[in-house]
Amino acid sequence: MLLSLSKLSKYHYFHFDNIYFDRKEIRISFPSPSSPRNQTRSSHLSLALNRKYSATMLEPDAHDLSDDADYAASIQQGPASMTRNDSLGRNSHNDPEGAEVVYTKDNVAIHPTQAASERISGRLKLIKHGNALSMTWLPYKGQSSNARSEKDKNLYTIRAVPFSDIRSIRRHTPTLGWQYIIVVMSSGLAFPPLYFYNGGVREFLATIKQHVVLVRSADDANVFLVNDFENPLQKTLSSLELPRALTPMCESPTSADPDKGELDKSSNIFQNGRRQKHHDPARDISMQVLEKFSLVTRFARETTSQLFGDSQYDSYPSNDRWKDGALSPASKRIISSDDSPQVRNEVPVAADPVEIDKLSLVWGKPRQAPLGQEEWATFLDAEGRVMDSNSLKKRIFYGGIEHDLRKEVWRFLLGYHTYESTFSEREYLITVKQSAYETIKKQWQSISPEQAKRFTKFRERKGLIDKDVVRTDRSLEFYDGDDNPNVFLMRDILLTYSFYNFDLGYCQGMSDLLSPILYVMRDESESFWCFVHLMERLGPNFNRDQSGMHSQLFALSKLVEVLDSPLHNYFKQNDCLNYFFCFRWLLIQFKRQVEFEYDKTMCIWEVLWTHHLSEHLQLYVCVAILKRYRKKIIGEQMDFDTLLKFINELSSNIDLDSTLREAEALCICAGENGAACIPPGTPPSLPIEDDSSAYPQLDDEIL
Amino acid sequence: MSDTAHNHLNAKLVLLGDMGTGKSSLVIRFVKGQFLEFQESTIGAAFFSQTVSVNSATVKFEIWDTAGQERYHSLAPMYYRGAAAAIIVYDITSSDSFAKAKKWVQELQKQGNPNMVMALAGNKCDLEDKRNVTAEEAHAYADENGLFFLETSAKTAVNVNDTFYEIAKKLPRAQPTQNPAGMLLVDRPADGSRAASCCG
Repeated sequence: MLLSLSKLSKYHYFHFDNIYFDRKEIRISFPSPSSPRNQTRSSHLSLALNRKYSATMLEPDAHDLSDDADYAASIQQGPASMTRNDSLGRNSHNDPEGAEVVYTKDNVAIHPTQAASERISGRLKLIKHGNALSMTWLPYKGQSSNARSEKDKNLYTIRAVPFSDIRSIRRHTPTLGWQYIIVVMSSGLAFPPLYFYNGGVREFLATIKQHVVLVRSADDANVFLVNDFENPLQKTLSSLELPRALTPMCESPTSADPDKGELDKSSNIFQNGRRQKHHDPARDISMQVLEKFSLVTRFARETTSQLFGDSQYDSYPSNDRWKDGALSPASKRIISSDDSPQVRNEVPVAADPVEIDKLSLVWGKPRQAPLGQEEWATFLDAEGRVMDSNSLKKRIFYGGIEHDLRKEVWRFLLGYHTYESTFSEREYLITVKQSAYETIKKQWQSISPEQAKRFTKFRERKGLIDKDVVRTDRSLEFYDGDDNPNVFLMRDILLTYSFYNFDLGYCQGMSDLLSPILYVMRDESESFWCFVHLMERLGPNFNRDQSGMHSQLFALSKLVEVLDSPLHNYFKQNDCLNYFFCFRWLLIQFKRQVEFEYDKTMCIWEVLWTHHLSEHLQLYVCVAILKRYRKKIIGEQMDFDTLLKFINELSSNIDLDSTLREAEALCICAGENGAACIPPGTPPSLPIEDDSSAYPQLDDEIL
Repeated sequence: MSDTAHNHLNAKLVLLGDMGTGKSSLVIRFVKGQFLEFQESTIGAAFFSQTVSVNSATVKFEIWDTAGQERYHSLAPMYYRGAAAAIIVYDITSSDSFAKAKKWVQELQKQGNPNMVMALAGNKCDLEDKRNVTAEEAHAYADENGLFFLETSAKTAVNVNDTFYEIAKKLPRAQPTQNPAGMLLVDRPADGSRAASCCG
């Protein structure tokens, strides 16, 4: 199960019917006894053994590959492709005169669909002609079982693409599963992932490097930029019209600046943030990728319709195909969930591209039961170290944590404990941190009433906190009633935090973030330090200039543009592009009980804190909820006011599990292009370090 | 924004004031007739609507309830831009909150719609024994600045509806007679050069 998930490509818009299959369903696609390939079954089996053996040798943790559908597919293709190697050798004379083949790799495959039987294996070559290097990928001939596969082969064949037309190559080397690469053209188009069944991506890149300039991207160590295009990039950048999603907020009087209009549009978005100080080429690249993404998706869509146009599936999506169990019941529910809120369709609502192109969507994995004590123990070695933190995070991502275990595990997720620490190291840390907390706390405790009279800032700050703690989650038993000690604890922790991080101080919303932490930790010092770690990531949301919120709302608008352009257009036409109606969701991480109940809040938080799939899953959760109500929003022609009211009042209709699944699916679907929508340093990413203070704040003054 | 049609008026109203003065409580008392002892803080903003009938006309208030902390002050213009009315709220037990209220009045006078109907509400008037701002002082300030003033209590409902009714009564007169073009001007804030130049 883990294995098949790790193989899900981030580029599913190239896969034309890759709805998520769970393992049981994938097994259906194994060769059946009646299959024509049955005759080679014995060789499959022997290969399976060899393959399994070598995988185990390479990866000590490797799971049993024989259980994996992708693997089953590869052994299916294995013998076939091997028999074809000889005949292909004869093709080499077709290479252009004077050309030199500098690299050849067999068993490099394209997966047009998730279905194992439709994979196409072929040979990848690098050909040098004079000074020019080009790449080809030709599918093996005669392997296909039907006309459609033949068509796929023609469609996917890569015929001599010169490297001068290639912008970058992205390398994916999952721990389990095949390595693959994605080749992105200068035009923004990308080829589908090329899977290296026998490995060797490193060698492939090394060969390229001998012939063209290949530079690792500063932004992502797995992206290799072909030929340094620094200057052309600058040119493109200056001609780039970035949508000014944040215009309304930028126009507030406090940020009014007579010179603002002359600023470069690209830096304008961050005019209030310290990121403005230095030009960030990595972000520029992201923006470019983003700009081109529409081309990529269009390519995928056109290809899709082309494929389905004359296939047996032309009546899709109402095709019976979906009834035969290929689609999990949960996916069916999600697909139809758009209709679930009772909607009077007053105006025609533009189709949802991602919903309609279900083809291109891998639905999120079914949610699991929360992580319990027994299972947690299996993640620890004898001395208490977490042996595989990634598996742990993944496990929590898909199921959350049982409440009694939260106290222990949250400390890791938030970064109070490191995964490598032992039981005894953690015990020691707790005592050290306890006394460190007391030291900071004494700073304000020692302020006498006399001193406080002369310390306006302290009085004000304490006043803010006093006002908020008494109205935070008071309906919960834990904070209920007069003189509740937990309310005082909350006050003390927030006041201590406002001394620990005096520049940021206290800001409304912080009590909402602390409340569940104190509820779980039940310990003052530990709650404090966990809160400190959380605020390291979310602190910029509370900046006076709102830079953290601005970048999140900006990223959200870009994500909606990518994942649901009709909805984006609707927001654009209705002056809603500042996405301010999502402000509360993002500021306090979906906390208020109108969005999710308290327990659900804790669950979504731990899922978000795993940073599995994306550090910014919260943005995809927003998109998932918006998409769920898109029909209502557009159908009822909600304007900004109505939309804000609607969203503030969204009740427990929001089902956490399906929302997280949808968010996961959207995140996978958006892939790198989604990531490119999110400016570096956007919370909850750790802030970009610079020399100045972490939280430069102006004094709080109204005018 | 406001507009009239068949004796019906839509009026955008914004609540401003220091945090914890009871802005949300006032709206919820007016809109839902409810009161929560520990009304949670407003994050971002909240939107409500409620219709009242004055004389033979009806006024539908579209109410923006804002976050009080100064940290979020930069977002306020988004809400008061194009508003036909504002209630500036302070807490009679806190002279700081009264000082903040004055600053809000100044800002609206400088940046807001010049025809805006402004009300000053001294909330929590049920807490007489903790009073720190006298009604006389607030009254004098309101008179000087052309606001109308009431002491309110969201908890006991004293003067809450009256505040909104009072505004509703002032609206129809304020809009068409003093600035006939004002309706158009405030109807589409994006086109309203005045609002844009003030707040942009």
